[in-house]
Amino acid sequence: MTDDNFEPNIIAFTCTWCGYPSANLAGVNKIDYPANVKIIRVMCSGSVDPAVVMQALERGADGIIIIGCLIDNCHYVEGNKNAEERADRLKRLLNVLGLDSKRIRTEWINASERVKFANAMREFVDEIRELGPAPHIPAPKRKELTSEEIKKEISRIIEDTGAFDCVECGKCTSVCPVARFDTEFAPRTIVLRSMEGITDNLANDKDIWTCSTCEMCNSMCPYKVNYSGFIQGLRGTAMQLSNSPVCSQGGLIQSAIRIMAGADLKQNRLDWVTEDLEIAEKGDVFYFVGCLPHFDAIFADREYLELTRTAQSAVKLMNAAGIKPAVSNEERCCGHDLVWSGDEENFLKLMDKNLELVKNSGAKKVVFTCPECIRTFEMDYKDFAEDIDFEIVHISDLLVQLIDEGKLSLPSMADEIIATYHDSCRLGRHMGIYDSPRSLIESAGMKLVEMENTREKSACCGVSAWLSCNSAAMRMQLERLEEAKKTGAEVMLTFCPKCRIHLSCAANEELPFDRERVNIITKDLTVALAELLEGK
Amino acid sequence: MADNTDNDSAKSSIGLYLCRCNGEISKYIDLDRIADNLKSIENVKVVGIHDALCSREGQTFLKEEKEKHGFERAVIGACSPNIQGIIVGKALEEKGLNKYLFEQVNIREQCAWVHPDIDKATAKALALINGGLRRVLTLEPMEDVEISILPSALVIGGGVTGMQAALDIAAAGFKVYLLERTEELGGRAYKLSMTFPTHNCGICCMQYCKECVFTPKIEDVLQDEKIEVMLNSEIESIEGGFGNRHITVKAPDGPREFDVGTIIVATGSKTFDPSDLPELNYSSPDVITTVELEQLIVKQREKGGSIERPSDGKVPKTINFIQCVGSRDRAKGNLHCSLVCCTYAIGQARELVKLIPDATVYIHYIDLRGPYRGFEEFYDAAKQEGVQFVRGRISKIYSTGGKLFVRAEDTDAGALLEIESDLVVLSVGQEPAQGSEKIVEMLHLQTDIDEFIKDINPMFPPEFRRGIYAAGCAQGPKGIRYSIDDAKSAASEVIRLMRDGTVKMPRITAKADEFRCRGCGRCVDVCQFDAITLIEDGKGGQIAKVDEVRCEGCGTCTVACCNKAMTIIGYAIPQVIANVMGLVEEAGQ
Repeated sequence: MTDDNFEPNIIAFTCTWCGYPSANLAGVNKIDYPANVKIIRVMCSGSVDPAVVMQALERGADGIIIIGCLIDNCHYVEGNKNAEERADRLKRLLNVLGLDSKRIRTEWINASERVKFANAMREFVDEIRELGPAPHIPAPKRKELTSEEIKKEISRIIEDTGAFDCVECGKCTSVCPVARFDTEFAPRTIVLRSMEGITDNLANDKDIWTCSTCEMCNSMCPYKVNYSGFIQGLRGTAMQLSNSPVCSQGGLIQSAIRIMAGADLKQNRLDWVTEDLEIAEKGDVFYFVGCLPHFDAIFADREYLELTRTAQSAVKLMNAAGIKPAVSNEERCCGHDLVWSGDEENFLKLMDKNLELVKNSGAKKVVFTCPECIRTFEMDYKDFAEDIDFEIVHISDLLVQLIDEGKLSLPSMADEIIATYHDSCRLGRHMGIYDSPRSLIESAGMKLVEMENTREKSACCGVSAWLSCNSAAMRMQLERLEEAKKTGAEVMLTFCPKCRIHLSCAANEELPFDRERVNIITKDLTVALAELLEGK
Repeated sequence: MADNTDNDSAKSSIGLYLCRCNGEISKYIDLDRIADNLKSIENVKVVGIHDALCSREGQTFLKEEKEKHGFERAVIGACSPNIQGIIVGKALEEKGLNKYLFEQVNIREQCAWVHPDIDKATAKALALINGGLRRVLTLEPMEDVEISILPSALVIGGGVTGMQAALDIAAAGFKVYLLERTEELGGRAYKLSMTFPTHNCGICCMQYCKECVFTPKIEDVLQDEKIEVMLNSEIESIEGGFGNRHITVKAPDGPREFDVGTIIVATGSKTFDPSDLPELNYSSPDVITTVELEQLIVKQREKGGSIERPSDGKVPKTINFIQCVGSRDRAKGNLHCSLVCCTYAIGQARELVKLIPDATVYIHYIDLRGPYRGFEEFYDAAKQEGVQFVRGRISKIYSTGGKLFVRAEDTDAGALLEIESDLVVLSVGQEPAQGSEKIVEMLHLQTDIDEFIKDINPMFPPEFRRGIYAAGCAQGPKGIRYSIDDAKSAASEVIRLMRDGTVKMPRITAKADEFRCRGCGRCVDVCQFDAITLIEDGKGGQIAKVDEVRCEGCGTCTVACCNKAMTIIGYAIPQVIANVMGLVEEAGQ
């Protein structure tokens, strides 16, 4: 990493009231510091979005320093404290990613402290020079498409997904959970507009990003149009036309994933592996964990999530059945969120890395807990790659099989718990896995009560791929929670980490009605089963 | 993800101007090289270089350029926008350029002046300007926010500063609420036995002498119909924003509520407590502070006779004044100089020499600081009258065998001194008044390292103070005369705001996107200014609404917002990222 000529590119975000004036004062006093530092003025250190910091690191900055007023002296009262807390969370994420967390620094400098400013800059530049360059991920390439080519591309998508068969019956719109709350949105009209071949539309169409790709429409379409596939295709083409989504979390997560796609990283994604867990480096069974460690860092302020417990629980359950799964620190994001936000280029890089990894592990079987990861392997990887010769299994199917074979037995519960099960769209409608989760709940001795909308008709958690999580999503989430609450269950079990993130987030927010209506715990089914095993 | 503004901006043209700053910039940065590199960038319609864009010639040049080339956006590479930016942009604004489509890039304070290597400075300046070009394309034209100012003022603190401010505002015809925490007006100045430079009592600064019992200055305040004095009163809460704040006061006869357009904070200062420094031996009865000596002098004036020391009533014959107690040493109190103590101690020393003709009075000082007209004469008179000035710090004050000693250094003579002393007077420095931190919190004011209220950079337009002015010792140690000046200047700003009735503020405020907002309330939780409320969205849910008068544009809410419905105008994520990209990419050719 150490290149003698390496000169780091440093971005300093300075607040208007102290950081920026302290730099000016250093200037007035001609106190020199390295020219590597380039200053951007923001109103307050508390307004520096982690998404901006991450994207700066992704696209060419080697270090980011955020400079605000002295703690307890913030012009905006607590902006710098907020900045500190957000930087800490971001450092956790950088650590998981394998980017040194030293690349982000916060400094609190009074407007008059010119020397302190210059010293902080010198020190930071030296430190980053020592660290070497951050991985610079080039912006996704845009093909210059002529309008003829775009038309051809759209026709291909229409052909491939059977959208050609659309008879405009509107069944899709009538069952669409987004359209129910967002009256501007109608799946039918997107198909219609594309059929008319208006390419201008695609360059400006924001509706293609509104779809939650839950496949409610697919399952209801009388002509079996693959609507979600159609949307996935359109999104990829739209990105070529500079039509990109505004992402929740400001695109922080997509940026982290692009870094995983494009860079050589010394990741730290196995911190969840505790001593009691038996894992292997290679073996017949590979457990693909997914981005749980990343989400734990990003959502560190939502301590109720504890997403990596899912991974621990999965290994415990497999261990109990005598399986010592291989897990890898080299794993990358499956690419789900990129392919669903139109970034095929980086998605393919991730796919190649993951397939290579599985191949090298010698695994014959890859086990998943995350419904998105398994969907991506089973459907998207198989679309793009040919030589997938390993078995793709969801933990629920595996556990049912192990129980059937007598290799695993779950102790029966002392007090019967009433539980309901939320089918996530990826595991349910996309993968068709409905029965195994239910069978597991019953073999665990829990009483399963079903929600009004269940199995193929299961309601959506509101968001996919960190695209818009707006008021329509909020309503979907609250309605789902209400449904769960109405069953009389004590807990809503699910397999999808994102459904948990979205539903529990809504349940903890400020609500315009009595919280009791939606007050139900959302719990990961893998975790619930492992707890049972441990007699908790 | 970030580049979704590219399409809209393709039509927009930019005028790029670089300022040599009469050599201050061009000495360190090769501006021609930058102009060459950037002139062929898409959207850059024209590149110009000028000697001094802020000068009259420079402003005329910009106006002519705007007329000739008709660009819609402008980037100027010059000095810091915090200092001259308002002036530099003015010429373009006059010629119809929307000031929100203007970006001034700081290549002087943050580039030319800090990087002596011309190649490095030029490369950095190129990147900075490129960032400005990328950013300016993402900006949208805006109008300022117009804010109305209620024609009434609140003055917090009834000391010399507060009273003067109240009188001035009332004289201009506006209603004033004057709030005082204690039971009487006058503050600390009122209690002084004598003040600089006339050597009369404190009230003389308020025109007359203390002997008059009812000071006319206080009387003026009490009798002014426009001033409502509230004694024994404290502020309970302050709600609202610039121009219209609702005040609730806890007064002896129950709460009192009213609305004001402007506020002057004149909470004053208190003196340093020397008991924290054991080497000063303050627990000894004959080690007293200047404030306590004041009481001895007052007592003498009332009762006649001579000054008596506290322990045994003896008339002290050797008196040592110790300067800078609690000042000018961070480890021993505060780093700041309290400004008034030198003058004040000399005044007291002169009084003692006069009252006790056979006494020896020493003043131990580090530097004598009296940056006031008449100080040198005052100091000279003290020397003539026999006050001994010893330059150097004291290391300790100790009692032994019933006697008090001062161990001091005389740096002029190069000698260590042990002086037996009948009385030691500690010249205690000034610190922010007790309770001022509560006001600071309620008004969201910023304090400096020394905890005094920080003044906003005076280069900023006065509106940035949002109708709140700190004056007098609340802002830092000051003499009476300067506190009065301060009060008058704060009052004149406040009067100007209230006379205008409205003020225009830059539209750097939060904005909620109705489509993206989910009404979760995270923004409400982090907002320190109560600027965001959740309102019904008409569909059974909630949506965030920003009060743009209360919003101060900090942007903490934008980070808290998961779905990025909340943005600060001019600082939305794509706008900041455009700037970042401009800094990290290879600019131009």
